[in-house]
Amino acid sequence: MIELKDVSKVFQNGVEALLNINLHIGREEFVFLVGPSGAGKTTLMKLLYREESPSIGEVIVDRIKVNEIKEEQIPFLRRNIGVVFQDYKLLLRRTVYENVAFALQVTGAPRSQIRRLTMQALELVGMVKRAKSFPNELSGGEKQKTCIARAIVNNPPILLADEPTGNLDPQTSWDIMELLDKINRRKTTVLVSTHNKNIVDGMKKRVVAIEGGRITRDQQLGMYSQQ
Amino acid sequence: MSKATDVEFFIIEAIRGIGRSPLMSFVAIGIVTVTLTIFGFFLLGVVNLGNVVSGMAAKLDLTCYVDRDLAPRDAAELQLKLSKMEGVEKVTYYSKDDSWKSFKQDYSGKLELSEVVSDNPLPNTFAVKVRNPEVLPQVAKNISQMSEIDEVRYSGKLLGQVKHFVDVIRLAGFVFVLLLFFATLLIVVNTIRLTVLARETDIYIMKLVGATGSFIRWPFVIEGILIGVAGGILAVVLLRGSYDALAFKIASAFPFLPVVSDAFLLNFIFISVALCGTVLGMIGGYISVSRLIKNA
Repeated sequence: MIELKDVSKVFQNGVEALLNINLHIGREEFVFLVGPSGAGKTTLMKLLYREESPSIGEVIVDRIKVNEIKEEQIPFLRRNIGVVFQDYKLLLRRTVYENVAFALQVTGAPRSQIRRLTMQALELVGMVKRAKSFPNELSGGEKQKTCIARAIVNNPPILLADEPTGNLDPQTSWDIMELLDKINRRKTTVLVSTHNKNIVDGMKKRVVAIEGGRITRDQQLGMYSQQ
Repeated sequence: MSKATDVEFFIIEAIRGIGRSPLMSFVAIGIVTVTLTIFGFFLLGVVNLGNVVSGMAAKLDLTCYVDRDLAPRDAAELQLKLSKMEGVEKVTYYSKDDSWKSFKQDYSGKLELSEVVSDNPLPNTFAVKVRNPEVLPQVAKNISQMSEIDEVRYSGKLLGQVKHFVDVIRLAGFVFVLLLFFATLLIVVNTIRLTVLARETDIYIMKLVGATGSFIRWPFVIEGILIGVAGGILAVVLLRGSYDALAFKIASAFPFLPVVSDAFLLNFIFISVALCGTVLGMIGGYISVSRLIKNA
C-alpha cells in the first residue's frame, strides 16, 4: 500500500530531513512511526500526500508513484489519503457537521451522499450530538474526533495521523487510539506518528523508529523503545 | 459530479465569504467604488473634451468664390450642384450685391467706399458646410476642380491644428484610461487579497482534502464579482448624480461649452463603468486566490 524506496529529503537550507529511507507498509496494516521531535516523521508523512517531494528516491502510495504525478493530479491522490493533525486544522467558522461535509463537498459529491456519509462518519467517531457545535465549543478530544471524521468521511484506503494525541490527556489519547484501531479494523491502512510511549507499548503494533532522518528499527508487535 | 451542487456551493461560499469578514468586504466595495468613480469621471472628462474639440472642428467650413456675375438661376443651379457633392451638408449663397450691401452697412460712417472703389469688388460667395471636418480637405479639392468656381478658401492650418489636438486628446485619453484601469485592477486585486488572506487556512485545508485549484478558486472569483458589481453600481449612482449636477452648473456658467448630454452615450459610459467593476472584481478575485493557492 505504501512504499518508500531509497528516499532522501534535503531541504533548500541544507537540512537533511530523511536519509536513504526504505519502507514497505502493506494493505490494512497499523504502523506506529516513533522517534524524537525533528527525527523526520512529519516530513515522511508529507511525502505520502505530496506536500513535500523527495530529493531522491521513489514514493509509491496505492500503486501511484507520488513523486512523479503532475501538479493537477495531486487533489485526486489526496482524496485517497485521510490526514489527521496534532493541531486539528478545523475551519473555525464552520460547525462540526460542515467541517466533515467539507471534505466531500470539494470532491463534488451530490448533496444526499454528502449528508449520508457525513452522518456515518460522525456516528463512527461519536460526534453526532455535537454536529451543530463550532470548534471553539469543543474539547481537544472532540476536535480530534472531528478531524478524524473529516479524514475518513470519503472512505480513503489510507489514514495518516501526525501526532494525533500530542495535545490530549492520557484518557482522551486512548480514546483516539481506540478509534484509529477501529478504523484500521474496517480495512483502512493506518500510519500514526507519535512519541506517546504508553500508547505504543499498550497497542502492540508494528513500530518503525526513525532518528536523525534514518530508520533505526522496524519491528512487528514492537514497543516504543528497543527491548 | 453534480454541477448544480457545485455552482450552489460556490455561490453560498462566496456569500459566506463576504459575510465572514463584513468589514473587509465593506472596505473592498468602498475602494472599488472610489476608484471606479474616478475612472468614470475621467472617461466622462475625455468624452466631453473630445466633444468640445469636435464642436470647434465642426464650425470650420469652406468659402467658394465666383468672380463673374451670376444670374439668380445660375447661382441656384450651382448651389444645388455643390450641395449634392459628397461630404457636403449645407450650402448657403451670398450674391456679390448682398455681400456689398452688408459690407457697406458694416462700414457705414467709418469709411467712404465710393472714394476708394467705384464698383462692387466683392465676388459671389457660397458658404459650404461639411458633414465631418475630416473630409474638409477633400471637399475643398473637389470644389476647386470645378470650372465654375474661381477660388476656394478654408482654414487648412487651423483645421490641421484642431485635428492634431483631437488626435492627441484621444491618444492621451486612451493611455490614461488604460493606466487608470490597471491602477484600479491593482487596487482591487490587493483589496480582495486582504479578504482572501484571512482564509489562508481554509485554502490549505481545501487543498489537503483534495479540492482542485478551480474548485478552490470559484468561490473567491464569485466573491470578487459580487464586490465588483456592488462597487460598480455604487460608482454609477455617484457618477450619474454628480454628472447631472455638474453638467447643469457648467451649462449655466459657460453656455458656449457643449456638455455631453446624449443619453445613449452617457448610458454606454455608465454601463461600461459597471461592467468594468464586474470584470475587475472577477480578475481581482482570480489573481488574488491563484497566488494564495500556490503558496498555501
